[in-house]
Amino acid sequence: MYKPKTLNINNNAYVRTIWRLNSTAIGAVKDTEEEEFRVLDILKKKQRQERKTMKRADVQPDRADRMAPDQNWGNVWPGPRSFHPSSVPLPIRQGYALKGAAPPGKKANAELMKIPNFLHLTPPVIKSQCEALKQFCTEWPKLLNSNEAIEKHYPVEIITSDYCHGSPSIRNPLARIVTLRVKLSSLELDKHARDKFLRLIEYRYDEETDLVTITADRCPMRKQNLDYANYLLTACYHESWAFEEWERDKTEEDMEYYDWDKNASKRSLVQWYYRFQGKDLPEDVDYVGYDISEIPNGEQYKMAVNNLFNEGEKDETLLEYTKAVRKLFGLPDLDVES
Amino acid sequence: MRGIDPAVLLSYSWFCVAAASHLGIEVTKSWALRKAEKERHTLLRAVHIYKKHRVQYEIRTYFRFIHLQRLTESTCDTYLEYIERNLPEGCALKVTKVECQKMSEHLTPPNKD
Repeated sequence: MYKPKTLNINNNAYVRTIWRLNSTAIGAVKDTEEEEFRVLDILKKKQRQERKTMKRADVQPDRADRMAPDQNWGNVWPGPRSFHPSSVPLPIRQGYALKGAAPPGKKANAELMKIPNFLHLTPPVIKSQCEALKQFCTEWPKLLNSNEAIEKHYPVEIITSDYCHGSPSIRNPLARIVTLRVKLSSLELDKHARDKFLRLIEYRYDEETDLVTITADRCPMRKQNLDYANYLLTACYHESWAFEEWERDKTEEDMEYYDWDKNASKRSLVQWYYRFQGKDLPEDVDYVGYDISEIPNGEQYKMAVNNLFNEGEKDETLLEYTKAVRKLFGLPDLDVES
Repeated sequence: MRGIDPAVLLSYSWFCVAAASHLGIEVTKSWALRKAEKERHTLLRAVHIYKKHRVQYEIRTYFRFIHLQRLTESTCDTYLEYIERNLPEGCALKVTKVECQKMSEHLTPPNKD
């Protein structure tokens, strides 16, 4: 190998390689003492290590750092979106904190990302959206302030239910149920019609609140159920006003209230009165039409017995009955216990 | 409203009340049950035999209620559409509407002929 003797100052590899490249005997025998031993790498571990330590390109600074405090947040987060830490300028921490450590920060925090956030519904956003919706809304009429006014003008109530689920279909079979509620006092009924109406609707009447509740769910559509409920109400109403021939066969046992004039109590009172007077009963005495004003304290007795049967056995009704009977027989009154 | 997370339900009900107040709707009441409704299932722990060793799962449903009054039909529909569009994940909504109507003209006593 040709080596110029003058260039022996720095016997470094760089100079040697330059001369080697320029020399003609490049394929000649290499000097093993000067070079490194080339290691055979079958499994290519060195290449794999190089690939593992891949460094990312320069990460841009967070968008959150460049946000102004007076920006319009509605423009940044217009719709529902899972949490994105670089877009939210808040120092939020969420998660389990080890002893002595703070909860994990917002970057790469699965707990923050998996929960539904309301960042798209901040108060100013809600306000602006409601302002836009106001054109579709109407005001409640001012004169319908109280419940009584509403009931007077709009007595019929229709109750329906809507359902909103997170499922693929928006249909829900429960949405077809319609309930119609109306107060019995708002319907025009006379005595016979009221009795017949109550017998027709059976269990759908609530005595305490005076409400007739008709629930319809036998049809598949809500509109059909609504029509059916209205039809039921109209049919019962008109039927109750109609008088049938077989209604004349109503006996004393079918009566829904107690009428003292037609019952055994009056008969026994009249008989007792006659015996008390010492007179004999005339044979065809008309018990029903007998005038009780002849019997002293008879009216009070009649009222007491009527109340007992119609309103049920309560302390007040029993007390009234005892007072009435005492007065009738001429016994002294009960001592009022204070 | 029913859902799996009470915090989400609270936020959602806050949003509903805020929207109602902006639209001029009366909010009478907003309350939640103290405890969730828990549906429990007790299953066998192993694939085959080992009857004495079970595993228990439960599904908790939290509830929240809001009462609104004095709504006109168009206000009601607009408000409901807005609310339902912003229903969060993991929540379901049941809306009961009580509609007042005038007595129909059919319900008058028949004329005495």
